[in-house]
Amino acid sequence: MSAGTSTVELTGVSKRYGRTRALAGVDIAFDRGVTGLLGPNGAGKTTLLRIVATSIGADSGEVRLLGRDPHRSHADVTAVRRELGYLPQELGYPSDMTAFGFVEYVAVLKEWNDREARSQEVRRVLDAAGLADQASLRISRLSGGQRRRVGLAQALLGDPRLVVLDEPTTGLDPAQRADLRRTLSALGHRSTVLLSTHQTEDVAALCERVVVLAGGTVRFDGAVTDLVATAVGQVWLADEPGDDALVSWRTGTGRHHVVGGVRPVGADLAEPTLEDAYLLMLGPDAQRVHTPS
Amino acid sequence: MTTGIQGWHAHPALLSSYVAGDLDAVAGASIEQHVSRCETCRAAVGQLLEPQVLEQTWTGIRDAVERPALPFPLRLARRCGLSEPTAVLLASAASLRGAWLVGAFLSLSFATLAAYASGGTALAPFLLAAPLAPVLGVAAAYGPRQDPLEALIATAPYGRTRLILLRTIGVLASVLPVTVLLGLAVPGPPWLAAAWLGPALALVPVLLALAGFVGPRTAATVVSLVWSGVVLGSTRAFAPTWPVEAAQQGVYLGLAVAACAVIAIRAGTDRQPGVAL
Repeated sequence: MSAGTSTVELTGVSKRYGRTRALAGVDIAFDRGVTGLLGPNGAGKTTLLRIVATSIGADSGEVRLLGRDPHRSHADVTAVRRELGYLPQELGYPSDMTAFGFVEYVAVLKEWNDREARSQEVRRVLDAAGLADQASLRISRLSGGQRRRVGLAQALLGDPRLVVLDEPTTGLDPAQRADLRRTLSALGHRSTVLLSTHQTEDVAALCERVVVLAGGTVRFDGAVTDLVATAVGQVWLADEPGDDALVSWRTGTGRHHVVGGVRPVGADLAEPTLEDAYLLMLGPDAQRVHTPS
Repeated sequence: MTTGIQGWHAHPALLSSYVAGDLDAVAGASIEQHVSRCETCRAAVGQLLEPQVLEQTWTGIRDAVERPALPFPLRLARRCGLSEPTAVLLASAASLRGAWLVGAFLSLSFATLAAYASGGTALAPFLLAAPLAPVLGVAAAYGPRQDPLEALIATAPYGRTRLILLRTIGVLASVLPVTVLLGLAVPGPPWLAAAWLGPALALVPVLLALAGFVGPRTAATVVSLVWSGVVLGSTRAFAPTWPVEAAQQGVYLGLAVAACAVIAIRAGTDRQPGVAL
């Protein structure tokens, strides 16, 4: 291994799709543990993950994955791919395949050539994804959440050192999210896990570190608690919606949760949540993101 | 007679013989019946068995239930020495399943029949269908528009290019022999039975090279239209065998070489390895 010591190192990485700028000179490194990428749609999360998953190349900048430059040679990119687990944002499932058949197919693409060992590994990841009883069902008969977990199962094949999960929580119910948290925290001890989401609860529940992306640049990078701390003193519970608040909404108690702006008259300072901090971090983009619950 | 069996348990020696397979048919069947209903004896049998054997048996049963069966043509190919992982990969290609092969066979048969019925004056149906069967098979092997697993295939160590080439070979190996046999039934000069192979083998690399730019579906449409134009256009002015005569074969060879060169150049220059196809 040369200079770099992190599992993933991006230096000045940019990417455009035609006229749209997806990533603008991103410098970031990732190591063992679970990191959540948070950001509105179009922030560049998927682009960043696709670059780390060797699915697309960067236009400029340096990409080092597991100490290698994936653009240098076919051997380098293949070596990275051998230690990669990837759940793409949109994964089509051949509807006539069973869950077992699908994961087995991916296992063959990942060079699990020995039949016995492959079967065992396929069962292991299906069990880990909570699909032991659905292994022989056709994917067309599985629910959305179960399909997402089939996708997750294939990303766990071979205990990869680098795991890239693009919106793994889509379609999962709370119990399944709890299962995912358990799976990921176990995985994070050994591997570098990157996941994207636009749900702050997911990040709070699943990740140690959070990276906020907006407009193709990194707005925040640090511990989840540090992101929450940035919002201290800027969140209130008030009887009126704040006039110049970034966002405010009526809570169940009838009072207004006011984020940003000046303190409304008679307002009480409130404990900020990760979502408040995230909205403040996005600034003017926040209205577009926030959907009151 | 209902004499309760709860009180009676098989002697350990009897169970040992049962597990070892030493009992005769009647005694073995009786013990089996008893064990299936008596929990105590079932537990005793369980202790006599090696956990490893039980594990293996259970794995075998799960395998039989969970592992999808390979389609018939691939089971056949397995017997001829096709490796098991390769068979699993080929099984996912739509055009290597029975239904597609039967469809290709039927349309080729009709084309052959039409040429045969005309007594060799109308070769167009056969010359139209024979080279297009492998082209459409290869295009269909990509899946609708593009493979639903595109993103996964592109980032797997096996490699997308290798997978597409494997499927292409699979399609050619399954379609070409049948077409050669049908070609023998087409009236006309004896070389005709093999002459269509020229355009067939040229159109496949052209399709692959084109698919790298515009996707497999558009590429297949373009190739099919151009080939239909060549075959049908030639029926007005030239002999029925014109599309596969020597001079034209040279053109096909040139096209094939050019297409292979395009694929090779794209594979070599693209920043993202494995996206040439």
